[in-house]
Amino acid sequence: MKEALNKFKSLKLVRMMGFNRVVLIGVIILMYILFTILSPILHQGTNFAQVSRLLSALNYGYFIGFLALGVTFVIATGNIDFSIGPVMFCSALISGYCMKQYAFPLWLCLIMCVLIGAVFGTVGGAFVAYLHLPSFITSMALMQVAKGLGSVFTKTQTVSWPQGDAPNTWFRNFVRYKGIPTGLIFLIVVAIICAIVLNHTRAGRYIICLGANKEAVRLSGVDTRRWEMLAFIICGALAGFAAIFYVGAYTTVQPGMGDTFNNEAIAACVMGGTSMAGGLASILGTVIGAFIVALMQEGILAMGFSISYQYALTGLIVLGAVIADTLSRRRSN
Amino acid sequence: MPEVILTMKGIDKSFPGVHALDHVDFEVRKGEVHALMGENGAGKSTLMKVLTGIYTKDSGTITYEGREVTFANPREAQQAGIVIVHQELNMMGHLTVAQNIFIGREPKKGIRIDDNAMNVEATKLFKQLGIEIDPKTTMSELTVAKQQMCEIAKAISHDAKVIIFDEPTAALTDTEIEQLFVIIRDLRAKGYGIVYISHRMDEIKKITDRVSVMRDGQYIGTLITEDCTKEDIINMMVGRVIYEDPKTQSQCPPDAPVVLKVEHLNAGKMVQDVSFELKKGEILGFAGLVGAGRTETCRALFGADPKQGGDIYIEGKKVEIHSPKDAVEHGLSYLSEDRKRYGIVLKKSITENSTLATLKEYTKGLFIDRPKEEKVTQRYVDELRTKTPGIDQLVMNLSGGNQQKVVIAKWLVNDAKIMIFDEPTRGIDVGAKQEIYELMGRLVKEGKSIIMISSEMTEILRMSDRILVMCEGKKTGELDIAEATQENIMNLATRDIDMREGDK
Amino acid sequence: MEKQKKSLASNPIVRAIGVQRLVILIVLVVLYLFFYWRSVPFRRYTTLVQICNFMYYILLMAIGVTFPLITGGNDLSMGTGLICYSVIGSYLIRMYNMPVWAALICTIAMGVLMGTINGVIIAKIEIPPFIMTLSTMMFCRGMGAVLTNNFSGTWPDGSQAGAWFRSIFRIVTPNKTIIPLGMLWMILLVIIMTFILNHTRVGRYIIAIGSNKEALKLSGVNVFKWHVFAYMICGFFTGLAAIAYAGTFSNITPGTGAGFELDAIGSAIIGGTAMTGGSGSVVGTFLGCLLISLLKTGLPFIGLQANWQQIITGGILLAAVTIDMMRNRKRP
Repeated sequence: MKEALNKFKSLKLVRMMGFNRVVLIGVIILMYILFTILSPILHQGTNFAQVSRLLSALNYGYFIGFLALGVTFVIATGNIDFSIGPVMFCSALISGYCMKQYAFPLWLCLIMCVLIGAVFGTVGGAFVAYLHLPSFITSMALMQVAKGLGSVFTKTQTVSWPQGDAPNTWFRNFVRYKGIPTGLIFLIVVAIICAIVLNHTRAGRYIICLGANKEAVRLSGVDTRRWEMLAFIICGALAGFAAIFYVGAYTTVQPGMGDTFNNEAIAACVMGGTSMAGGLASILGTVIGAFIVALMQEGILAMGFSISYQYALTGLIVLGAVIADTLSRRRSN
Repeated sequence: MPEVILTMKGIDKSFPGVHALDHVDFEVRKGEVHALMGENGAGKSTLMKVLTGIYTKDSGTITYEGREVTFANPREAQQAGIVIVHQELNMMGHLTVAQNIFIGREPKKGIRIDDNAMNVEATKLFKQLGIEIDPKTTMSELTVAKQQMCEIAKAISHDAKVIIFDEPTAALTDTEIEQLFVIIRDLRAKGYGIVYISHRMDEIKKITDRVSVMRDGQYIGTLITEDCTKEDIINMMVGRVIYEDPKTQSQCPPDAPVVLKVEHLNAGKMVQDVSFELKKGEILGFAGLVGAGRTETCRALFGADPKQGGDIYIEGKKVEIHSPKDAVEHGLSYLSEDRKRYGIVLKKSITENSTLATLKEYTKGLFIDRPKEEKVTQRYVDELRTKTPGIDQLVMNLSGGNQQKVVIAKWLVNDAKIMIFDEPTRGIDVGAKQEIYELMGRLVKEGKSIIMISSEMTEILRMSDRILVMCEGKKTGELDIAEATQENIMNLATRDIDMREGDK
Repeated sequence: MEKQKKSLASNPIVRAIGVQRLVILIVLVVLYLFFYWRSVPFRRYTTLVQICNFMYYILLMAIGVTFPLITGGNDLSMGTGLICYSVIGSYLIRMYNMPVWAALICTIAMGVLMGTINGVIIAKIEIPPFIMTLSTMMFCRGMGAVLTNNFSGTWPDGSQAGAWFRSIFRIVTPNKTIIPLGMLWMILLVIIMTFILNHTRVGRYIIAIGSNKEALKLSGVNVFKWHVFAYMICGFFTGLAAIAYAGTFSNITPGTGAGFELDAIGSAIIGGTAMTGGSGSVVGTFLGCLLISLLKTGLPFIGLQANWQQIITGGILLAAVTIDMMRNRKRP
């Protein structure tokens, strides 16, 4: 048994992806089978094994995926960002409102989404990197600011992005084009870019190394503050990206919401093997983690449970992953 | 002669690779102040840690008040009456003096802590010691000297019989030292046994009754303070061991250009008006005892800590260094004494660590040039003979010596002109030590200049071309290797008395 | 100038209150007068009742979180926890006909339980407190709805049996004037907790943990026990806050509550409790909470609508933490 496991671990593909990631993919498949069997039993008349279910899970996975990719950079530096969900909503609200109220062209609105996200990232990053504020409290404060700003700007109205036969709906093609889940392609492309940035550029190298040992990197003559802030900016910009895919899939955004997505994005990261202590990050793991979160929420709904189960489970997942990470690090010391 | 209260006999203690205590004997009598002296790493602290239950001994006996004892932890020792007054104080700065003294055993009145009773008790204690401290003051508002006196009061309130002072005067002013001595003399008169660890020769002469000297984990001997001279003690401390091939004369040509000039560097208490020059191809040894301010000087020079003043010239040009980034851009490099915290990123590979300081040069367009990076890493792994299965190996899996080589490689890749080696061979086994020495020799031949901080006399005498000695944040002397001996280095490293008197 | 500042600081009255608290007090008065001047409706008696209503549950959480903060920790699970306990409490009354007094006890017990879980894992496994309480925050957010099957909580009100518990917080006189009785209990609790913090072993050791945990350990104190205790106090007060919330608001939606804790933490930090641990004051927390409540109730009167509330929370928190950071950096 153990031998077989070792043999499996030494397969080339397994080695390339990392054993944990392969296990996670196994988890996805298991979850899918489980939901397919359980949902008709628990909730009569549902059939989980439908393409529409899968597509709906994918829709959820896209924006969670972008959020999780962003926060992976921040967690890699040993910090945390609790503001991404509300920041995503805030940028969707403000740019959507501008489009409706002031007739901004669509392309400008999309760019605005990313920019607003990046601005939030810059502010948060500046507080953390240059003023040395704890990132959790800073980002929680910014979360409130993002929520508030969204509702102040829109006068607490729900904002709908164009849909159906309305003009200017081409941004929805990002999510799905003639039945093809284009969102998946975008997510994979962005994930690949993220992986390249993290593993093959100076920024990524510094971000990971300063998460592992900030003082050693500083004493190597690197201005760590700049790179620490950059991680937050990347995170914010990707939250803006997530906003595009959120409205592409669901079109309407409500002010004052979005903080549950933080939790799910963070859960996706830690499940994927990114360590809350910093210095260790896996983009592939994050993407798989995001899809686990998405599938979980689809499954929970299909089985007729309320979304609250998802919230409670997310908490347990983060707790479990962090305890496991803490204990394993303690053992290796 | 007063009765012996504490006897340690044949104490032996080994750590992996180090024989820290080699059958050491030590005794304390009632009503005496017994100095414990020795170079850095001679085993004084280890001995005291064995006594107070922080370490467990491998063999030997401790007899205390006529009974053989072993303490499992500091608390047991404390309850038995053996207390250390630490160099770094073990105080809770946010609580008041009385609250600190009685922490863990507060008198109570119902559920309420009886703070009044505590304050009264504390006042009594201070009266007994002849100190004036308001027990209601918050601890962090007191000076270090007063905090220390509170620690003494705490020790006495624990019914201590043996009090160990670990370099108690390191952070005190002259008047404060005088006050401390009054208290210590008073304690002696009351029959306490006192162990006094210090490097300050004048204090030893002033306050102690006997001096025991340790060297390299061994007990050398005990002298009656009155009957001995400073030279006697120093001779015992440095011994007559023949060190392997010490340098007899400087390898650096006298007309070599000055690459680094530091003038009037000031940074906090530990770096006071330090000036020196470093020539091309020279190894400048920084000697001194632990806490002399050598590391602080180099960190301030490197921009790692803020400095209050001082001019730095590199190759004759004045430069501004405010951060390690500036320093690295000017060709400086720093190998910390604490590798794991300041030198390397343990969880990353040799390659990633090697190019950490120079990543910009190994970036092509947007991307890191992996082949180039790996090539240079491999080159230095070969050149420095780093023992590793491959350059992708995580640094945490390497031995201390090889980790040090990775740090050196990082700076060689950067082509640093001036290298600061802070305790380059700490925690490294003998074979690897030799390699590091050879490497340093090679580096200066190639035209690099090295500042080497070392607390090992052997290392200083063997490697340096010139030796700068520091003591208590000040430069106390500079010796050419030809004139340097262990004795005169030790003299400079402990000569604070004359210096302080000279200041007046 | 410097001398004046010093002599002011050494004035016995100023010393007794503390400089920072005095500053908050002055700001409070100025702010109140400002609102009074700018808005006529603000001058009504009901505004004060409104401030009180808003304040109860925030203040209770704030008093609670002062203790983990003093140990150098935190508790982010208070907001969603409060709603969770409150919803479950009302569910017990509605579905199981539990008498109100028993439901109140259950609500508090849930808070204490969650506090204990937080404390044990933080003190034993040494997980950073914010990560630990973040997980329980997420957990509580879902759990309230999961256990009650998405029950929208309503505690007894009006003439229903068991509505008596609302009179803990306010009494309506025959001529329809509301007396905010809760304020009395709040002041009483502030006095009790100040006593506990400054004059009992619990408080002493909690301060010592935040100041120098290792030194406390060397003094032979059971650090684990007292560390957990700090979180239990916080949990207990979150339970009380759940009751206060139930007593002042008629409807409780499960799954809400995220962000309440930030007002509470903000109150404590404004009141002079350091994020780095070791020092704190319950009276300061009280004043800090008063300030936040006054701002949040008062600003709508001068035209800043309710949707500004969250921005204000965020802004205050950022400012408070930045000031706290600066202040503690100066002192080595």
